[in-house]
Amino acid sequence: MRKMLLLAASVLGAVAFGASAAETVVVAMKGPGSGNPFWAAVQAGAEAKGKELGVNVVVVAPPQESDVQGQIALIEDQLAKKVTAIAIAPTDPNALAPVLEQAKKQGVGVVFIDTKGSNPGVTFIGTNNEVGAGLAADFICKNVPKGSEVAILQGIITQSTGQARAQGSKKGLTACGMKVVAEQPADWDTGKAQSVMENIITGHPNLKAVFASNDNMALGAVQALKSANMLAKVVVVGFDANPNAAASVLAGEMKATVAQNPKNMGGFGVENALNVKHGKKIAPVIDTGTVLVTKSNAAQYK
Amino acid sequence: MAAREVIGGRRFAKAAERYGIVAVVIVMMVFLALLQPEYFLSVQNLTNVLKQIAMNSLLAIGMFLVILTAGIDLSVGSILALAMMAVAMADKAGWPWPVVLLIGPGVGIIVGAINGLGLTLLRLPHPFIMTLGTLNAVRGLTNLISDGRPISGLSAPVRFLGSAQIPLPALGPFGAIPVSAFVLLVCYGGVALFLRKISVGRHIYAVGGNPQAARVSGISVDRILILVYVMSGFFAGLSALLLAGRTDSGFPNAGIGAELDAIAAVIIGGASFFGGRGTVLGVFSGVLIMGLLRNGLNLMNVSVFWQQLLIGIIIILAVYVDVLRRRAAVRTEELTQSRATHWLLRRRRDLDSRSTTT
Repeated sequence: MRKMLLLAASVLGAVAFGASAAETVVVAMKGPGSGNPFWAAVQAGAEAKGKELGVNVVVVAPPQESDVQGQIALIEDQLAKKVTAIAIAPTDPNALAPVLEQAKKQGVGVVFIDTKGSNPGVTFIGTNNEVGAGLAADFICKNVPKGSEVAILQGIITQSTGQARAQGSKKGLTACGMKVVAEQPADWDTGKAQSVMENIITGHPNLKAVFASNDNMALGAVQALKSANMLAKVVVVGFDANPNAAASVLAGEMKATVAQNPKNMGGFGVENALNVKHGKKIAPVIDTGTVLVTKSNAAQYK
Repeated sequence: MAAREVIGGRRFAKAAERYGIVAVVIVMMVFLALLQPEYFLSVQNLTNVLKQIAMNSLLAIGMFLVILTAGIDLSVGSILALAMMAVAMADKAGWPWPVVLLIGPGVGIIVGAINGLGLTLLRLPHPFIMTLGTLNAVRGLTNLISDGRPISGLSAPVRFLGSAQIPLPALGPFGAIPVSAFVLLVCYGGVALFLRKISVGRHIYAVGGNPQAARVSGISVDRILILVYVMSGFFAGLSALLLAGRTDSGFPNAGIGAELDAIAAVIIGGASFFGGRGTVLGVFSGVLIMGLLRNGLNLMNVSVFWQQLLIGIIIILAVYVDVLRRRAAVRTEELTQSRATHWLLRRRRDLDSRSTTT
């Protein structure tokens, strides 16, 4: 009996030791992967990278993206488990800052993925929106004649994402000789974009193309152009490659959109969180890349 | 001999009713300690649990007072958000910290008073409706004053209650007790004394147990109702201070759905949804059960969906156990007269005798 107990104890001990020997990287997302293709892709990328590097990857997320306290508690509980590193998409950059400071103090490697947090000196790994908007601008440049009238629908212009997409597209469009006749915010909203677009085409009936800073606004623009019977002669390009936009591109209404690469956010996140832990220097901002989505590759985003 | 056995049995049943819930907490802790031997009982983890339950426990103690009167306060999550944003904005505007600290509970008291007055002056049919109204209105107000934007970087004295820790080097490098734990202790102790020692506190039980009888015996039911909603608002405002300190910010999304967690804790803790019955110890146990469950499942890397599922099952089980217990009690004719009714009858008699003498 005693022998058996000893044996059991030693097996348990070995298992426990084995488990704690490998490094553990926590990937803290804003919402669960199930039901959300974006976070599912982040999770898949993180887990694949974990396998490749031979580290444990633990993916955690609060039930809703608004559950800030839930995410704080998740991080605290993982810190109590003495994890190696954390790659986090903060639900609220400011509110998560104190617990992440605690993590840094504890010697845990920290990087931000998807959304930049407010802790100074922490690397951000995510989409370079300016570059992505540049891709969209290039597409417009190639598909309408030089000197054409084009418009830009902006997101909420006080947000960094809104600014980056507005600047990136404008830079690209002016560089290739387009005439930007309107730059107006429609706050990421389909309905607002429709009204704004109606006004733009009233004033500029010769418009040849519009870049909308997200797909929802692009879909609003499509509606406005449809009811004005102008959709056939105006190129509409969006951003995000959400399923509705992909369907619209396949149907030939929108001409293109830009996809982020959430898989890279997960993978790069795991890799660089470990790099931080091991004292390797990494760039303050790491671009996870963007892909132009047209009729030829839109099916995979539906 | 037989009589003594019956008394002993009754005494045991009473003790089981009062402390059974504490036993559940202890069993849970032992279970988690066995499942997560390396981490669960670590000082850092136990400190985490204390920090994590702080907010819900304050909301729950306020909710408990309301539920004792057979009411409900759906607005506490929104009050939390409004108070938190008000605190953050006042602090950013450079107001002196003692004033900023008063703003949190102050906002709570004001909204609580609106709830109570709406209920009693407007005679709305059920507190569910009044507080459902303020749940929405106050959340809207929060977004209006903040423009939906979070504010961060609060001053140290404002953060103190929610973030400071009293270091205990004897317990290792992570040895510390969060100040928020002391806030809890004071609040729970205070409410327990209030309910037991102050006559107004006992009136709360009476109003919930039997409002007609309470009214007849000369208790101003309206005043008691206003009081409990004000207290609920006060505790929501206080928990806003804790959360603002913990997160070093105010964010308008704070406390969405928090009212449901608070109600769950009160119900799991054995308080009757129909008023008049429940204990402070029970509420604290309910909060702990929810907090430990979440913490334990997090440590085991179990998906948050399981946590929702399990908490749902526990709520149903807890109330079912209560139903069984009541049925058993009715059989043994133990609960024919609850303490509150008993007390009311006596008071009624006193009043009657007084009126006959004059």
